[in-house]
Amino acid sequence: MTTMRRRAVPYLLISPTVALIAAFLVYPIGSVAYYSLQHRNLTRPWADGFAGLDNFRHMLFEDEVFWHSLGFTAKWVIAEIGLQLLLGLALALIVNESFIGRGLARSLVFSPWAVSGVLTTGIWILLYTPGTGVLRFLGQPEAAVLGNPDTVFPAVVVAELWRGVPFFAILLLAGLQGIPGELYEAAAVDGAGRLRRFRHVTLPHLRDAIVLATLLRGVWEFNNVDLLYTLTGGGPAQVTTTLPLYVAQRAVDSKDFGYGSALTMAGFVILLFCSVLYLRLSRFGEDR
Amino acid sequence: MKMKVAWAALAVLAVTATGCGSGSDSGEGSGKTTITFWDNNGGARTPIYQELIKRFEAANPTIHVEYVGVPIASVQQKYDTAVAGGDTPDVGGVTTSYLANLTGQQALEPADEWLAKSGVNGKLATPMLDSVRKTVPDGKLYLVPNTSNMDVVWYLKDKLQQAPATWDEFFTDADRLTKKPDQYGYTIRGGAGSIFQILAEMYSYSGIGEFFDASGKSTVNDPKNAEFLGRMAGLYKKDTPEADVTNDFPKMVAAFGTGKIAMMHHNLGSYNDHVKAHGKDKIGAFALPTGPGGKRTVVANPVDGFAVFKSSEHKDAAWKFVEFLVSRDGNSYWNQQTGQIPANTDAQGDSWVQGLDHLKTAVDTLNDPSTQVVSPPYYLPQFSSITKADTEPLFQKVLLGQMKPQEFLDTLAQKLTDAQAEWKKANGG
Repeated sequence: MTTMRRRAVPYLLISPTVALIAAFLVYPIGSVAYYSLQHRNLTRPWADGFAGLDNFRHMLFEDEVFWHSLGFTAKWVIAEIGLQLLLGLALALIVNESFIGRGLARSLVFSPWAVSGVLTTGIWILLYTPGTGVLRFLGQPEAAVLGNPDTVFPAVVVAELWRGVPFFAILLLAGLQGIPGELYEAAAVDGAGRLRRFRHVTLPHLRDAIVLATLLRGVWEFNNVDLLYTLTGGGPAQVTTTLPLYVAQRAVDSKDFGYGSALTMAGFVILLFCSVLYLRLSRFGEDR
Repeated sequence: MKMKVAWAALAVLAVTATGCGSGSDSGEGSGKTTITFWDNNGGARTPIYQELIKRFEAANPTIHVEYVGVPIASVQQKYDTAVAGGDTPDVGGVTTSYLANLTGQQALEPADEWLAKSGVNGKLATPMLDSVRKTVPDGKLYLVPNTSNMDVVWYLKDKLQQAPATWDEFFTDADRLTKKPDQYGYTIRGGAGSIFQILAEMYSYSGIGEFFDASGKSTVNDPKNAEFLGRMAGLYKKDTPEADVTNDFPKMVAAFGTGKIAMMHHNLGSYNDHVKAHGKDKIGAFALPTGPGGKRTVVANPVDGFAVFKSSEHKDAAWKFVEFLVSRDGNSYWNQQTGQIPANTDAQGDSWVQGLDHLKTAVDTLNDPSTQVVSPPYYLPQFSSITKADTEPLFQKVLLGQMKPQEFLDTLAQKLTDAQAEWKKANGG
C-alpha cells in the first residue's frame, strides 16, 4: 500500500500541470486540427460537414492570397528580426558603457517596450496622418505612406522597430553584464583590439541571449496582429497581410472557421518546424 | 498574508465572473425583471438610449434595462459569439444587413404575434416592414424597424453653391473644386465599408433596377456599372487625397472635417459629425445624382431596428421595451437625435423632420413615385462577407490601378450569383 502511494505521489504532483496543459494546449490545438478537416462556415450552415483535406487543397493549390501572405510574413519576420537584433545590440553596447546619465539613457532606451501595443499604433497612425503627420517636415504633407503600396512596408517596419528594439536591448544588456570583466582585461593584455574583443569575448557570451531573443521575437513577429491590423488592416490591397492577419480575415470577418483553422494549422506547423530547426542549428543551451 | 491576498483575488474574480454572466436574472429582492439590451452602434448613440431607458423605466417600474453599447465594427462578431456561447441579450439592435445571418442560426424570436396585438400595429412604415420580411426565407418579422437611412453626398456650402443633378455634373464639380496641393473635390471610401457605397453609386448611375436578372445572374458587372467604376476610380489621387485608398468611416469623416474636401458620400447617419466639424449652416446634402438614363435610382439601405432573442427568459418584458422604442415618442426622439428617418409614420410627420434639409431631401426622394429603389440581397447570409472581407481588398486594387474595373465587377458578380444560387437551393427555391 505504502509503495503504491509512493508511486502515485509523482503523478499526483504533476497532475495539475498535465491538466493545465491539456486544457490550454492540447484541447485548443486538437480543436483547430479537427475544424481544419471540416467545412464550417457560419454564413453557409447548409454546407457544413466533413471536408477531408479539401481546405488544405484549396489553401495550397488555389488560394493566391495564402501564398502571398506567407511570402509577406517571411519578409516581415526577417526584416524585423534582423534590424531589431542589430539596433538592439548597438543600443545594449552603448548603455553598457559607463558615462554620465547612463541610468536615464537606459530608461529611455527601454521605455517604448512599456507602451501598450494599441497606444503604439495610435501614436504611429497620428505620425503618418497626411496633412498633420511627421511627413510635413519632409516636404510631403499630403503623402499617405500607409496607403501607398511602395511605402507601406518601410512605414510599418519602422513602427514595429520602435517597439521591438528595446526587447533585444534589455535581453542583450543582461547578457553583457554577465560577462566577467577579467576576460576583457586578459584579451587586452594579449593585444586584442576592440573589434577582436567584441568578436571573441562578447559575441560568444551573448550567444544564448541572442538565440533566445531571436526565437521569441521571431514567433511574436510571425504572430503579430495588433500593430499591422490597426495600422493597415493588412492593406492596401492586401500587401501587408501576414498569415495570422489572413486567418483573422477568413475566420473572424468571413466566418469561415473551417478554412481559418486550416490556415492556422499551416502557421502552427511552420512555426514548429522553424523553432526546432533553429534551436538545433544554434545548439541552444549547450556548453561547448 | 499571501493566502489572504489570494482569497481576496479569487473573490473578486468570482464576483466579476458573475457580473459577466447573463443579465436576464431577476433583480434580487426588488421584484424587478432585468433585461439586457445591446445597442448595435454604441458610442455617440449611448446618451440617446440612456434617456429612452430612463423614460421606459419610469413608465414600467417593474422592468430594469441593462444597457450594453457594442461598437458597430464588432457587433456582428459579438452576436455570433453570443449565439455560439448561448449568452445572447434579451433585446438587441439589429440591421437587415446581418439579420439573415442571425435567423440562420435560429437566434431570434419573430415579433408578428406581438405586433398584431400592439398599439404600434399599422404605425410602422410599410416599405421598412417589407424590407425586413424580404430578408428572411420564411417572411416573418424578426426585426422591428426603428429607422432607415439613405445615401447622400454631403458637401460644404462655401465651396459648392449648386448641388449637381447628374453624375456628369458631379465629375465636373469634383475636378473644378480640386486645387493642389491640398484642396480636393471629393473623397472616396476605399477602406472598410467601401463596397456598399460604390454599389449605391454604380446603380444610381446605370439606373439598373434589380440586383439579379430573371435567370439569377448578378447585374453588378453590367458594362454601365463598369463604365461608372472606371470614371470614379479615375478620380483617385487626381481629385481625392491619396489616403483615400484606406479610408474607413472614421478616417473619411475626419478628413472631411478638416475642410479640405468639398464633397463626401455617406448616409444621413453622419449628420451630427459634420455639424460638429463645420456648423449647421455650412453643411448641405444631395441625393446621389442620376446617370445618363435620367432615372433616379436608390439602393435601399439596411433597415435598423430591434430584435428579441429566442433564448431570452423575459420575452414579454423585452417586447415591451421594443414596443416603447418604436412608439411615436420613442421613435421620434431617437431619430431626431440621430438625424435619420423614423420608422413610425406618426413620427415621420413631426415638424423636426421637415425642418432638417438633409432629412427632407431623403424623405422626398424616397416618397417620390418616380424613384426606383433597388434592394441588395441582404437575405444572403454571405452578402456581408462577400461585400466586405472578400472584395474590399480588390476594390483597393482597382483604385491603385492594379485591377481593371470590369475584372473586379466580374469577380464580385460571380460571387453574388453563386451565393444566390446556393441560397435558393438551400431554401428549396
